[in-house]
Amino acid sequence: MADFALLHRPALATAKSGSFGAAFSNERITLTALPEGHVLHVLAARGSGDLTGLIPRIGDGSAHAVRAYGPGQWFVIGDASLSAAEIFGKTPVLDGKASISDQGHGRVLIGISGAAVEAVLAKGTAVDLALSNFPVGHSAMTLIGHISALISRTGPENFELLVLRGFAESLWDELIEMGLEFGVDAKTAR
Amino acid sequence: MASLIACPHCGPRPKEEFTVRGDAGITRPAPDAGEDAWHAYVYLRDNPRGRHKEHWHHTSGCRRWLVVERDTMTHAVYTVTDASAPGETA
Repeated sequence: MADFALLHRPALATAKSGSFGAAFSNERITLTALPEGHVLHVLAARGSGDLTGLIPRIGDGSAHAVRAYGPGQWFVIGDASLSAAEIFGKTPVLDGKASISDQGHGRVLIGISGAAVEAVLAKGTAVDLALSNFPVGHSAMTLIGHISALISRTGPENFELLVLRGFAESLWDELIEMGLEFGVDAKTAR
Repeated sequence: MASLIACPHCGPRPKEEFTVRGDAGITRPAPDAGEDAWHAYVYLRDNPRGRHKEHWHHTSGCRRWLVVERDTMTHAVYTVTDASAPGETA
């Protein structure tokens, strides 16, 4: 019997919210704390070959559910929160070729969008974010300042950042600061 | 030190994303190789001038171990390969 009930509190519930920086700008940045649904880390078994066709079957079928992390590693992300049983129920699909680790407690998603979004993120990372090099659906694990994050492009002017929960508010504050010259609308309400 | 490392999985990334382990050319001795061999393996390193192979970990990227062949004098990077590639692990 647990002495304390564990209550899920969204990581960015108390983060800064509102409008910041330049008041008049047509390149405003929108920051959004995205729903904390499920984050599944999928790791390929040694010598399991190319699994790129298999991994999407773990996801919920949405456009950017699967985000490549490194060789043989993916994050599968969706808005629905899944119980341990529901996650375990997905393992037969992988047929022993890969394992699933629930990271829903450990990583959160931040949406960032706007005409100047590439310029804002380029202040923190060395990855070339130009649409020609970083097309919609592409992901890259990198540093934003000193914070490790998975950057994924979900649209020409839309990115999502998957960041460790404990670093989410620091990254949020840094993103606001990085976007001040363009003006930032930060939305933590969900 | 070389400032851009061309990760074979992620493309060119700044050195801040990596952790350097050191010489990739040394071989782990047998468990009964004796104190001198183990002392040398754990503590003794050359400080080469010129071309050198090292293990680099892409800590803030794909988290793969890489073998970086670089020049300690000119900072030129010659090759970067995944450490799991055949023949790369000493």
